Amino acid sequence: MNLVEKILARASGRARVTPGEVVVADVDRILLHDLSCYLTARVFEQEVRQPVRHPERVVVVFDHHFSPPTEEQARMLQENRAWARRYGFRLFDCGSGNLHHVALHAGLVRPGMVVVGSDSHTPVHGTLGCFATGLGNYSHAALGLPFGKAWFRVPELVRIELEGSTGPGVTPRDVALFLTGEIGEGGMVYRALEFAGPYLEGLEVFDRWLFPLITVDVGAKSGHVLPDERTLRFLAELTDDRPEAVGGDGDDVAEVRGWEVSGLEPQVACPPTVGNVRPVGEVAGTPIQWAELGGHGGGRLQDFRLAAQVLRGRRVHPEVRFNLVPSSRWAFAQALREGLVEELHRAGATWFPPSTGSNQAINMGALAEDETMVSTHARNFPGRNGVGRMYLASALTVAASAVCGRLADPREFVG
Amino acid sequence: MKRRIRGRCWLVGDNVPTDAIVRSHLITRPMEEIRRHVLEGVNPRFPREVQPDDLLVAGRHFGQSSGRAIAVRALKATGVGCVLAESFARTFYRNAFEMGLPILECPGIGGLVSEGDVLVVDLETGIVVDETTGARAQATPIPPFLRRMLEAGGIIPIAKQLAEGTDR
Repeated sequence: MNLVEKILARASGRARVTPGEVVVADVDRILLHDLSCYLTARVFEQEVRQPVRHPERVVVVFDHHFSPPTEEQARMLQENRAWARRYGFRLFDCGSGNLHHVALHAGLVRPGMVVVGSDSHTPVHGTLGCFATGLGNYSHAALGLPFGKAWFRVPELVRIELEGSTGPGVTPRDVALFLTGEIGEGGMVYRALEFAGPYLEGLEVFDRWLFPLITVDVGAKSGHVLPDERTLRFLAELTDDRPEAVGGDGDDVAEVRGWEVSGLEPQVACPPTVGNVRPVGEVAGTPIQWAELGGHGGGRLQDFRLAAQVLRGRRVHPEVRFNLVPSSRWAFAQALREGLVEELHRAGATWFPPSTGSNQAINMGALAEDETMVSTHARNFPGRNGVGRMYLASALTVAASAVCGRLADPREFVG
Repeated sequence: MKRRIRGRCWLVGDNVPTDAIVRSHLITRPMEEIRRHVLEGVNPRFPREVQPDDLLVAGRHFGQSSGRAIAVRALKATGVGCVLAESFARTFYRNAFEMGLPILECPGIGGLVSEGDVLVVDLETGIVVDETTGARAQATPIPPFLRRMLEAGGIIPIAKQLAEGTDR
């Protein structure tokens, strides 16, 4: 069996499972953010109203709000808070950071787990060798909370092998964007993805993170990296217990697809969809008014280090507002220790509280009609941040664009 | 569960995200308000003119992006009787059955029908007939597990059987 089959077999109490069959499995973690918590609570309280079987498995992180901008939103958070406390869910309040980064840093995600959530980027936890996927609020309300379970159709696995190495100014985010464009939105519907190959194996955990993150964009159910020494080292730094990593047996894959990443240019996902990915050269020169490091895939310590490479000795363009949104308090503290907070502040960028930043413009990041933002965010669909235009890119490209006031090729600044 | 659904059809294209079904800033509003804005950025006439039992016909990967179930709930609230698409995003697909909204994957449907045609869909056989043109299409039949969910009206009524393994 492959990794996904092994995890689902264990969680559903079966000796083996095969693609296509439907299983009801135990879930080890249910991750909810402030919006999905609110919607799940409504369904649960109005239509289910049963005791919660395993409250310790439920984690709530307020990440779309670092602070409520309206009374209505303040009430929503208050209801969430009361609901989480009533059942004894683990709650991380405003200012904690992005849901997925917080869960990871708090040591709440371990290899081999079944991790579910309403956030569609929940598959990102496959980075540690979990089976992680996004479900709707009704799944949580009907099966997750009362029984600690969820139903799954066992997916076929596709292995994605990445080879080669990228040049200066080209980052793992560029490779992940490139892959999204190559596979296409909906190119892997219902499948599970295994990211592998020498390029991927050579990356540290928070760079590998950017690959399972694209799972939802290509329509797949889950995406993972087989746990290895780097994974275990990373986890050992977070908590004391030695996790047991589950692997796969190697050959139970429906398809293997490979890409060579050498020679790749920096990539940009252009409006109106995540799959509209082009080399930066094709869109360089487009004026921007907003730049942001933040979101599910951004706001990592690595992103601030990359931005500092570009901004060292330079300043943010006077026509641009450059938002820096740490993905966790840990990332901010580390940036502080490394001197990045002051360095980027002096270069003209603005620090925001740890959160999911401008994702859906819940409390920051709304765009006027003729405004354009370039960011490390995961989504650029019209309507999420108002009617403005959103480009998605690496931290290097975002920082280079913030300096130039228009989309820019970061290779002019680094290497 | 109604076996046969007959109504006018509405068309939308490929990769329509849930953000376009219900825009983010509306999700905490009353359903009565949300309903009047469903898909307005994609097909502005739809929320104004949709009638009970009308059918929505979409392209590939319908309902991508956020897995918010409110997108399905809002579509149900418009009265749409069934959604047909080349393919669905998987969270939208789950949500629809969990909330009792019939949906069918129907390869080739986009090129076969025009907006305003009257369609008849048989949920059991998956046969789709365009009464306006006489064209026919075969949708992928709904898998038995999901059919059971749909017949029960969603996941909540059968959750206990599922959790205890007494459903089979």
